[in-house]
Amino acid sequence: MSSELERRLEGLLAESPEPDPGAGEESLHRSLRALQPAAPGHRGLRTAVLVFAAAAVLLAIAAGSLAAAGALHVSFGQKARQRPVTTTQLLRPRDANGIAAIVDGRLSVAIKGGFRIEGLTASTVALSPHAWYVAAGIGHSLVAMAPDRRTAWSHPVGGEVVAIAWAPDGLRVAYVVRHGHRFALRAIYGNGTHDALIDRSVRPVRPSWRADSLAFAYVGGGGHAVVYDLGHQRHSVVGAAAPVTHLAFAPAGRALLVATPGSAVVDGKTVASGEVEAIGWFHTRATVALGAGFRPPLVRTFTRNGRQAEAFRVPGRVVAVTGGLVVTRTSDRILAGWRGKSLNTVLGVRSTTPVADLAVG
Amino acid sequence: MREPSDRDLVRRARRGDRDAAAALFRRYWRDAWRAAFVITGRRSLADDVAADGFERAFAALGRFDDRRPFGPWLHRIVANRALDLLRAERRLSDEELPELPDAAPVHDSGDRSLLAAVAELSVERRVVVVLRYGVGMTPKQIAAALDLPVGTVNSRLARALEQLRESVEVEHVE
Repeated sequence: MSSELERRLEGLLAESPEPDPGAGEESLHRSLRALQPAAPGHRGLRTAVLVFAAAAVLLAIAAGSLAAAGALHVSFGQKARQRPVTTTQLLRPRDANGIAAIVDGRLSVAIKGGFRIEGLTASTVALSPHAWYVAAGIGHSLVAMAPDRRTAWSHPVGGEVVAIAWAPDGLRVAYVVRHGHRFALRAIYGNGTHDALIDRSVRPVRPSWRADSLAFAYVGGGGHAVVYDLGHQRHSVVGAAAPVTHLAFAPAGRALLVATPGSAVVDGKTVASGEVEAIGWFHTRATVALGAGFRPPLVRTFTRNGRQAEAFRVPGRVVAVTGGLVVTRTSDRILAGWRGKSLNTVLGVRSTTPVADLAVG
Repeated sequence: MREPSDRDLVRRARRGDRDAAAALFRRYWRDAWRAAFVITGRRSLADDVAADGFERAFAALGRFDDRRPFGPWLHRIVANRALDLLRAERRLSDEELPELPDAAPVHDSGDRSLLAAVAELSVERRVVVVLRYGVGMTPKQIAAALDLPVGTVNSRLARALEQLRESVEVEHVE
């Protein structure tokens, strides 16, 4: 039965406002860039999937060896829940799959299901998508752990790993390794094989993967953002902004947000000016935390067209925008959330305790 | 000259034909945006959600079964993106989100109040109303799109209609 109300509802969209013409053109441009006609990287990725699956058995063997050697203090599931969690341990934010950080030079990880790692000396850490894996720089090795299957691998890299980024599809890891005073960028399959040098002179900034996992951005030796296309094995300098201090690809599409000490730029368009403390993405919105001159820090988000969507203040100092959350640091704690009351304590710290690479996945 | 069908455009776009992809975009952008606007109630969010929907659709074009209609598939992506975004906002924010469409330049007709009444529905009800009446999907298609039982879709539709009837009647009485 079609009522009068239903008939009127059928005309609802026709009665709603028109989109701005500019928004359509901008979106068309972005959408066309998302077209993926038989990308050359696909075959390589399929191979990687097979290699990744086949290597699972090998990973299990490596896991046992790490734990047996006492290198890790790990706990799983029920065992972890028996121990009361204090704010001296990382608390996983509600709805997050995991959280990781380097606290006072030591690895601290909490994953859904009760898996925790505490106390291992590490230089940097990163979570894979869904927090299925944890990668850390330990000694002169890149080490990966898989909490659910208790597997791990370790890959010697000949230097200290200072930044790690896991591809959204989980198949590759990009990392920056220090050799004396120089930093090199390398990429390795997610199973610890096929390590390759990408750029022998880069800045020690965490790379950021594009949503399709076929490219990632990093900061080249000259301080500019560079995008490396895995399929074509091609490096492209992006924009004129320099020196780039942070970069973050959007979680969908190809928009790249970069920060310099005085501005934040999305795809070449400056969206914010001021001292940038952290950048990231909240769904489709570029998110920029501005520090000096904005105390408490001002967090601003921007639509795809560069228009400001919202602005709000958070306490302390913003240390990361990760996993759709803003992470701030006050004198005695680390907080994660979005606005106001949703900011919850994830770690209690002394004011002098260094906390780095905090990531929520 | 006859307009190319959606299927033709999809096939050409898959092969990298940007003109075909642009034609698809222009054919569906307005409706996708309007669907996003009615669900989210905000122009800035509608811009983001519709754009994101197209990006995801074009990136996934290789996996799209071109025997099926393109429009409902795209709208499904847009509706799900809108839902994801609103749910994330609701979960993360302790502030009230604007529920009414911002500066909606609708015609001076009775449908102005209808649009406002739709905006007052819960997000879950609003989405099924938009997909059912705005996009023209069947309850079964909506159920598949939103990963819900058909019974849940039907009950949300029935309750939404009931709420809308009450809102519109109150409007008339006043």
